[in-house]
Amino acid sequence: MARMKFLCDADRCIECNACVTACKNEHEVPWGINRRRVITLNDGKPGERSVSMACMHCTDAPCAAVCPVNCFYTTADAVVLHSKDLCIGCGYCFYACPFGAPQYPRVGNFGSRGKMDKCTYCSGGPEVDLSVAEYEKYGSNRLAEGKLPLCAEMCSTKSLLAGDGEMIAQIYKERVIKRGYGSGAWGWKTAYRETIAI
Amino acid sequence: MRQDDDTRKDGTGLGRRQFFRTLGGGTAAAAAAVASVPLGTTEAQAYDPGSAETRSRYRETDHVKAFYRTNGYETLKK
Repeated sequence: MARMKFLCDADRCIECNACVTACKNEHEVPWGINRRRVITLNDGKPGERSVSMACMHCTDAPCAAVCPVNCFYTTADAVVLHSKDLCIGCGYCFYACPFGAPQYPRVGNFGSRGKMDKCTYCSGGPEVDLSVAEYEKYGSNRLAEGKLPLCAEMCSTKSLLAGDGEMIAQIYKERVIKRGYGSGAWGWKTAYRETIAI
Repeated sequence: MRQDDDTRKDGTGLGRRQFFRTLGGGTAAAAAAVASVPLGTTEAQAYDPGSAETRSRYRETDHVKAFYRTNGYETLKK
């Protein structure tokens, strides 16, 4: 059985934020929520590196471990989803997640935050596939349409990979074999000279 | 002439002490009604997603194959 994974090739990410925009548009994500974000380290300095982050759909998900109402479940594709009907907006998952993936539409305490929202790997929620109710709560269900998450599909530099973990690992491994690991292989040292340590 | 609290009437026709006696009796009756409800009916149930919700949706369609091909074009294409 294929296990769905995201992999961001940080050597290729140019911080264009197209993945963030595509996700918000595709799922009509409410104001104040970003299911995907681009994180930049050493911004403006030599060695700057950006990586696109969202829910990583952990195998042993800490969000699911701390949820007091057990609203999380893992699909056969290894995608971690949740039920907004059960979520009470307690915020425990937000504190447990090492990636900051769970987001809330409002600032407040417990139920006043609203229902938690996070990346669904473009595979909807517990409602009937491709139904209006599913779209309103969780956004589109591209996996059921035979597609992959839009953030990865429209990445202009082919940095963000999504799909069968075995397949994207193979793609990334062969990239590393061909170009080497680290930004040096992509002209970094030409631009910033050999003396730059990364 | 000053009226006693028990006999004083307000606009509703109920004395102050009589009002609280009546209210107290009503509260006790409501508490008894709540206590008689079996607790088992309000017990929390763990969410058990059905097999339809957790089934696999991923299919290696031509669309998905094209994604793999274009992302691995430098390396996978021999």
